[in-house]
Amino acid sequence: MDSRSLTSLFESAERGDAAAAEALFAALYNELHRLARRELAKGGNVTLGVTTLLHEAYIRISDRDGLAFPDRARFMGYAARVMRGLIIDHVRRRRARKRGGLFEITALETTVADKVTNEEELQLISDVLDELAQVDATLAEVVDLKFFCGFSFAEIGAMRGVSERTIQRHWEKARLYLHRAIGDAVRMER
Amino acid sequence: MSTLTGERWRALSPYLDEALDLTAAERAPWLAKVGGEHPELAADLESLLAEHDAIDHERFLEGGAVVIPHPSLAGLRVGAYTLISPLGSGGMGTVWLAERSDGRFTRRAAVKLLNSALIGRSGEERFRHEGSLLARLTHPNIAHLIDAGVTSTGQPYLVLEFVEGEHLDQYCARRSLPIEARLRLFIDVLEAVAHAHANLIVHRDLKPSNVLVRSDGVVKLLDFGIAKLLQDETETTPAITREGARPLTPEYASPEQLTGGAITTATDVHALGLLLYVLLGGPNPAAGTSGSAADLIRVIVDTDPPRLSHVAPNGHALRGDLDNIVAKALKKRPEERYASVTALADDLRRYLRREPVSARPDTLAYRASKFLQRRARAVAVVASVILLMAAVVTFYTVRLASERDHARLEADKAARMSELLTSFLTGADPYATRDREPTVRNILDAGAERVQNELSDQPELKAEMLNVIGRVYQRLGLHETARPLLEEALAIGRRAGAIETTRLAQSLNELGILLRERGDAAGAVPLLEEALAMRRSLLGSKDKDVAVTLVELGRAFEDRGLIDRAEPLYREALVIRREIFGEQHRETSTSKASLALVLLRRGDLSGAEPLFREALDTSRKVLGDDHPNVGAGWNNLGLLLLGRADYAGAEPMLREALAIRRKHFGDRHPSLGTNLANLGSALVEQGKYDEAAAVLTEGLEVARAGGDSRSAIIARLLFQLARLHLARNDAPTAEALLREALTRQQATLPPDDWILAATRSALGAALMAQNRYDEAERLLQEASAMLKDVPGRQGREAAATRDRLAALAEARRRAEGAR
Repeated sequence: MDSRSLTSLFESAERGDAAAAEALFAALYNELHRLARRELAKGGNVTLGVTTLLHEAYIRISDRDGLAFPDRARFMGYAARVMRGLIIDHVRRRRARKRGGLFEITALETTVADKVTNEEELQLISDVLDELAQVDATLAEVVDLKFFCGFSFAEIGAMRGVSERTIQRHWEKARLYLHRAIGDAVRMER
Repeated sequence: MSTLTGERWRALSPYLDEALDLTAAERAPWLAKVGGEHPELAADLESLLAEHDAIDHERFLEGGAVVIPHPSLAGLRVGAYTLISPLGSGGMGTVWLAERSDGRFTRRAAVKLLNSALIGRSGEERFRHEGSLLARLTHPNIAHLIDAGVTSTGQPYLVLEFVEGEHLDQYCARRSLPIEARLRLFIDVLEAVAHAHANLIVHRDLKPSNVLVRSDGVVKLLDFGIAKLLQDETETTPAITREGARPLTPEYASPEQLTGGAITTATDVHALGLLLYVLLGGPNPAAGTSGSAADLIRVIVDTDPPRLSHVAPNGHALRGDLDNIVAKALKKRPEERYASVTALADDLRRYLRREPVSARPDTLAYRASKFLQRRARAVAVVASVILLMAAVVTFYTVRLASERDHARLEADKAARMSELLTSFLTGADPYATRDREPTVRNILDAGAERVQNELSDQPELKAEMLNVIGRVYQRLGLHETARPLLEEALAIGRRAGAIETTRLAQSLNELGILLRERGDAAGAVPLLEEALAMRRSLLGSKDKDVAVTLVELGRAFEDRGLIDRAEPLYREALVIRREIFGEQHRETSTSKASLALVLLRRGDLSGAEPLFREALDTSRKVLGDDHPNVGAGWNNLGLLLLGRADYAGAEPMLREALAIRRKHFGDRHPSLGTNLANLGSALVEQGKYDEAAAVLTEGLEVARAGGDSRSAIIARLLFQLARLHLARNDAPTAEALLREALTRQQATLPPDDWILAATRSALGAALMAQNRYDEAERLLQEASAMLKDVPGRQGREAAATRDRLAALAEARRRAEGAR
């Protein structure tokens, strides 16, 4: 991934360029994918935390490009959404092939489906999350960071420079929105 | 898709923020109030809040897509808490993150679900009772025990303050904290433990995983007193021999815990000692064992752990006080350890303040060394040594960095170097072990020892430091101490090969100077010639270092009497220095004096005089009237006047030179011999024999104290004294003095030096006065052949010898006539 293009993609995406946002997504996806594969290639008992993966991706990208992103919080916001896509893809692929595939995240492998029973449900959460992002992007990002990436309230608060309690309130509101929206969606399908 | 449009959500959002901070009881009146102002929102708010409660109950999206709690225990209620997600598991059981919700805010805690076998035979009642005692222990650095109990299903549990943090050792390692920062954190730990001890609670299981550091840097001790809580009071069997899970962590166990001794606060002191040991980089002494019980007992009960500074990666920095502090905390016998955790903390604080610590014999020398450390900068001599070394290191590092691109090697060297320098200031060992005041000599000795011992893997740096320290020894007149250091530096330089020529030249130069100064001019010449050739090829012909070696080589030739070879070297050095430093510079004036001395010796008095005068003027201007160089200038002018046979004019100059030298070197310094010899000869020539005898006898005394390196000057003094005795008609005494002088001169001068001839001539006169004509004639003929008719002393000696030969012939004739 060419870092220069990553920076310009980011700037365009920030200005509302949908194509650039899509390309940025793809670029980050590749980066995270590559990092995860490299971790696996190291062999042994790899327990790769998603948060670790994101932190590393940030360090690598900012290291390579100087200041590709204005700040860590911005990066994490984007990367968390990318991660969500990766996780859903992963669950989908795992369903398809049971095991194997190039990309495995240990933590995902064992726990992701315990609570969320199928990729349709995950996909549904993802869809309404996109909808929430249109209404209140901040809330949607908290869900990506917390639910899909496993950051704690304290960590997200620290990232954004707000209190843990504020993040917790964001989270409760977001959850409320998603719950309501999913309920609506399910009722409509029936 | 949603019944909530974006617009509506945005309208509701601020009200939700408010509502979510309310308790259930506050909610109804709040809704009524909002409903009065904004009836269109009230219904939505009410239904959303109801849904919120349902979501909580449903645990919607709880735990996240990635980390999801184990389904079997999540949601389980333990006391007032609900288990959320597992935090970890260990010998005692599993630990869960738990929440207690009172509607307004949630309180988080860690719940320990204990292996029920751990409660021991005295049962639940005691467990609860002890737990309530522990719950009274509150300290900002101790994770609070909130509750201890047993569930209705018989599951014993502990509810503890939830601490998010890193193990103390990992925290320090990951941030690469310096030693002082580690010690400060550790002192926080000690304060917490001291508080518990004051409340009669012993931890019994202190180890890195029980000491957490939060991201804000606050230390929290976990599991205080829990080991005791879990131990059956009736048990007397040592913990390690018991089967099954036990609260004890063997690697951090104290000897008394393994042998069934009394568990006291000293047990915690031992564990803290181990913690400190590991924190400062030492490997846990029990970690290297095979892990069998017998092995562990042996290591923990019998084997003293290796000194921290020997095993930690940055050991030098830990030498001395920290070594001693850790060792005292880790004594096998509890009564030999620190009497309390506070005492240990006090010692560490003293260490941080650079005050004497209690963990060592409190000798006067040790106190003095500490005082010196605190006032290092005030002690000028020490500082100058350190600065000299630092300058060398800086130069060395910078130079090498530009020569080669070995950044990492350089960084390593710089680090090692600064460690070494620091150790001169903070490493107390070299003084503490000897009952001596800290002196420059001690510091140098300690420095040399460390350089020898600790820089073996860095030969270049080692050679550089050996050179520096060797040079300082040399300045202090400690030639024999300096020599092996300089020789080793040279050997290292030679092994390193061609790249190292600038430094190799430096080593050759230093060693050459040393050999010359201790009287081995012949040995010095080849070294200095090699140094000169290297410096010329590396630095060009106009370099100040080239000038230094030119002068030194010139001096070595001069010492050997080879003044014809010395002169061009001095001239070249003078040209270089005039160009680099200008006329009014101390180095330039030194060079003038050196050249003039050679000219003087050769008899070129008119060539020497302006040089001597210029040199003296410059020295007085630049250095002041009392400087040793000014004294040397007066001495040189005095010698010139002696050469002109102006003895009365020479005398006050030579006295001034002597006075200045006495001022700087005291009355006993061997170098006074030269001044006394010169003054003595001026007095002898003026017939002031009594004064001369006193001066020359003092000269011999101080010069002989300087040993064989003063041979040349001893010979001169003997010569003058012999002339005095000849003048007083004491020929046998004169003969003895002259024979010693001759022996000494033959050892140091080339066989054709006119000085030898002058001595032989005088000896001839002494023999003649004893009527030993044959011996006398042979010596006088020899001398006469060697002495040239040049202006100055040599010419006068030549004339005197001719007169003696004539007198000898006359004496013979008279003796034959008498027969």
